Parts: sequence; structure tokens; C-alpha cells
Amino acid sequence: MREVVRQGLKFLTGAQNDDGGWGYSPEMPSAVEPTCAVLLALSTLSAGETARQRAVGWLWRAYHEDGSWGIAPDDPEGGWQTAWAVLALTRAGEPPEKLAASVEWLLSVKTLRFTDDELQRDIERILDIDPALRGWPWLPGQASWVEPTALTMLALAAGPFAPRAAERLAEAVQYLNDRRCRAGGWNVGNPVMLGAPLPPRAHPTAWALMALNAVAPEAILPRDVAALKEEMHRDGGTSALALGLMALAHLGQDDGEARRRLVAAQRDDGSWEHNPYHTALALMGLRGGRL
Amino acid sequence: MNPTLSRRAFLRLAALAGIGAGLAVAEYAARPVGTATYVRWLARGQRRAVLDPPAVVALAHCPSYQDVQECLRDLWSQADMPDVRGRRVLVKPNLVDIVEEYPSTTAPQVVAAVVDLLAERGAAAIVVGDGPAFRREAWPLVEQSGLAEVLARRGVPFVDLNYDAPRPVPVRDGWLRQAPVLWLPRHVQEADLIVSVPKLKTHHWAGISVSLKNLFGVVPGTRYGWPKNILHINGVTPSILGLRQTLPPTVAVVDGIVGMEGDGPLFGTPVEHGLLAVGKDLLAVDVTCARLMGVRPRKVEHLAWGLWAGVGQGARVELRGTPPDALQRSYAPPPKA
Repeated sequence: MREVVRQGLKFLTGAQNDDGGWGYSPEMPSAVEPTCAVLLALSTLSAGETARQRAVGWLWRAYHEDGSWGIAPDDPEGGWQTAWAVLALTRAGEPPEKLAASVEWLLSVKTLRFTDDELQRDIERILDIDPALRGWPWLPGQASWVEPTALTMLALAAGPFAPRAAERLAEAVQYLNDRRCRAGGWNVGNPVMLGAPLPPRAHPTAWALMALNAVAPEAILPRDVAALKEEMHRDGGTSALALGLMALAHLGQDDGEARRRLVAAQRDDGSWEHNPYHTALALMGLRGGRL
Repeated sequence: MNPTLSRRAFLRLAALAGIGAGLAVAEYAARPVGTATYVRWLARGQRRAVLDPPAVVALAHCPSYQDVQECLRDLWSQADMPDVRGRRVLVKPNLVDIVEEYPSTTAPQVVAAVVDLLAERGAAAIVVGDGPAFRREAWPLVEQSGLAEVLARRGVPFVDLNYDAPRPVPVRDGWLRQAPVLWLPRHVQEADLIVSVPKLKTHHWAGISVSLKNLFGVVPGTRYGWPKNILHINGVTPSILGLRQTLPPTVAVVDGIVGMEGDGPLFGTPVEHGLLAVGKDLLAVDVTCARLMGVRPRKVEHLAWGLWAGVGQGARVELRGTPPDALQRSYAPPPKA
């Protein structure tokens, strides 16, 4: 395992762009999500001190004045990447006061919330959800979805921000309870579409489990964990296996077969799919990394 | 003295009132897009319906996936498809998601036939790509659908469009006024030609999902999330037509060999249709496919708007190949949203 991790770290440090960030491949321009994921992985593994400093510098250069981050510095619209940045910079040791505006941005971001009675009844009929509950959207003004909700919960729970965010975090827990698939686990958003139950998927289930474990572990049901274990193997992709292992590590569990499959998927260049984002997740998954 | 109104004056006033009311209605109808755009779309739609030559759509009865190669070669010639020599081509199947026992994705045999045909005809570079709406990673879908094996045998790369270095481009033709810039993947922007290779199916939001709706998959999740909620927030119909107008030249090869009826795009029932449809005008192809599914095109909002605004030549279509009567079916509609 040590050699697997060493090769992965070697790929990551070699894939860092001159500007200090990482793209979704070494040939791509830097983007916020992969940079944050690699920064978290390096912080978790206590590796690449210089690379981490350069990544922190790049992230601050990509920061918007309103406290948000978009996909890259030239993206004028802030989005779900803001939660990634708050989480990664907090774990990298940045002072909480530097992230205060970003936390406020996350708490005030506009989210679609349906309170009209007739519309609520329609949405409940179609999607079997309570549309008045807010999580977080991918982008401002949109509906809430499981993955950005869970990511934002993890970001707000990571630093000393939880008391300020207590009300929204409690609503987010309700949101995740409401969006749970009937078989346990989570699909990307709603559990039902026009009467047809949607199957759980590995990624949103892993994110939701990590978020609930950080904020309200009592809300996790055994069938959620069972759904994750099944779906991460059914999907079988690098990020599904890696996030699945990370979520299980949060819950004090492991999955030897997932570990074996993930190691087998490492490429000769030390990467997973030549993708720094996937490589960072894989390393965190294999080393039991917690967000 | 009582005021009097002559008959002539009354008629003049009535005519003026009628014109005024007509202008008010037109102004109200045009308000969401602006009068200039509204008039341009209206005029283009009328021109397509009256003056422009018909679009060609070629149809074949192709009873099994084993017959696709041969059917496609014939149809490509019959449909007057563009010369691909020296061009960079992106083949865009529908890999929305895989749910066991539901035929929701384009069959790999159809993608293989398209790739082989493009190679035979001298395309300079061929890539296959999609950005699934419900899965964070496309590769498991590529493997599970059987597409990975098909591409490996041909040495053709797959590009996950969700992760393909998106850059902003202006939305053309006045669609998506609230989001005038869309971030699109590098391989989409750099393609000389896109081949939309959809699965023929019903769709609970869009009515039907064929070559136009298939374009949603080019919108990158790394910018917009999973699913691409922005396209619903901005309206499914303007998003479909805005993408059609913004992308590089795009043609269609429709996999209707096994279609999907009922609760599409994921949970519908397979239909052994045996249809392969090819054309260089997406609206014409989708209007034709709608009819062959037993769906009136003007009942599908994005087709109705596309016809009205002339987003392609859907009003006048010349059919070649197998006569449509032999391919006519009646698909069960999706459940009502």
C-alpha cells in the first residue's frame, strides 16, 4: 500500500500546474474542485508541503469578492465549489476569519424553495418530497441536490462555523432524511419520479453518509450503509469506490474488495484515470481519509 | 346637435382598433424574447414552411443490431450527409444512466457503425463523448453498456464531457436570455461536426427524447452539477433549441431499433421498432421520429417551438428509404408530470 500511495503522490505533485492549481487532467487548466480535492488529500496524508502552499495561493487568487468560488478564476458565477474551498482551506489551516465571507455566502445562497400550496401538492405527487425543505444547490437560484448539500454540510461542520450555521444544518439533515430512497441511500435528488422509486447511487449516498456522520450521526440508517456497499461495487468507478471507502472510514468500517479493486485500477503513472481529482479521492479512500 | 359617425369613419376607427389590438397582442407575445427576435423567428419559421427546400430524412427498417452497419451506409448516402473528410467529429450517444433491464442508452453497435462509417469516409479525428446527467463518472456506464469494448477494438477514445475543460461560449439566436453564456466542453467546441446518436424514447419532461434532447449531455457537470439543473431552470424547450443553435454543425443517427415507450427516459418499456433514421437537420429527424412513434410533433413543445421559429427545416421533410408506413408504431406516452 505504501508504494501505491507513493506513486499516487508522485503523480499529483507532477500534475500540479505552474499556477499552483490542478485541473481534471494534467493537461487541463486549474479548476477549484480538483485543486481542493488534491489539497485535502495532501493535508490528510501530511504530504507535499510546498505543493499545498502553492495550492492555497491559487485558491485565494480564484476567490470572488463576494466570498464565493466558481469552477475557475475566470468564472464570474460562484457555486458549489465554494463549499469545496471552505472545506479544503479549513483543513489546510487557513484562519476561520478569512473564510467568514464564504460561510456567509453559503448561508445566504438563493435556493429554490416551494411554499405555494398548490405547487407543493404537485411536487409531492410527482417527486414524493417536501419541497419546502432546503439543502444547497449546485448553483445559486436552483433546486437543492444531495451532493452539494452534503458537501456544504461538511464544509460548515469542519471549522468553527457550525453554531452560526446551526439552523441551516438542522434543515439540511431534514432535507437528507426526506430525500432518502426507499431502499436506503440517496439518488442525486428526489427518491421518486412520477411514482417510480429511484435507485440509490454511490456518490450521493457516500457524500450524504459523510455529512450526516459529521452533523447528525443518529440519522444514519443501516439500510443507507447497505445501499452504499452495494452501489459502490455496482458502479465500480474510481470515484464511487474511493468515496465509498471514505464514507465507510467515517463510520469505522472498511471494504477489502473495494480496496482491492481500487488498487488494481491504478495506472502505471501512479494516477487513477490520469485525473488528479480521482487520484486524490482514491488516495483518501485507500488511506481511510476523513473530510 | 348629436355627434354622428359616418360609416366610413366608423370602419376606419374599427380598422385602427384592430391593428392596435393586434400590435398589443404581438408585443405581449414577444415580450419574453424581445420584438426583434420574435419577428426574426416568426419570419424564419414562415420562410422554412413556404420557401425553403425540404430537409431530407432517410429511414430504414433495421430489424436487429447485426444489420446496422449495412443499413447505415445506405442511409448516409441517401440522406445527403455532409462530407467528413479531414474533419474532427464528435460522436454523441445517449448514456444518460444505466438502470438494469431498461434500454435507456444508445446501443454500442450503432455507435460502432457510426464510427466505422466516419473512418471509412476519411474523418481526420473521431472521438465519442457524453456527459451523463445522473452519474458523476461516465466510464462505468461506458463499460457496462458495452461501448468500452467497441471503442477499444477501434482505437477510438471516449471523452467524459462532464470533465472536458469547459469554456464559456455565447448562446446564439436569442435563446436562454437569462443565461446568455454557456460553458461547453473543449471537444464540443473544437468539433467540425457532431453526430447526435440518440436512443429513440419517450421522455416525461420533454415528451420525446431524440436527437435534439440528446444534446443536453454536452453540458458539463463540472460547471453545472449533476443533473444539469440549469437546463430545467432556464426551461427545457429554450435550452434544447438554444443548444441546437449554439453547437457546431450537428447531424443525427437515431437508434430506434429498440426504442423505449412509457416512463422514459429511464424506466420505460422496450419497443422492438426496427428503425434507423439519419438526417442532417435535427428538427426534421425528430419531427419524423415523433410521427413514427405516433406522436403529433406539434404536441411536443420543443418541436412545436422549433417548427414555429424555424430552428431547422421541420415543416417540409422529404423522406427517403423505407416507406414510413412500414415503420409506423404507437408508443405509449410517458406518465403525466
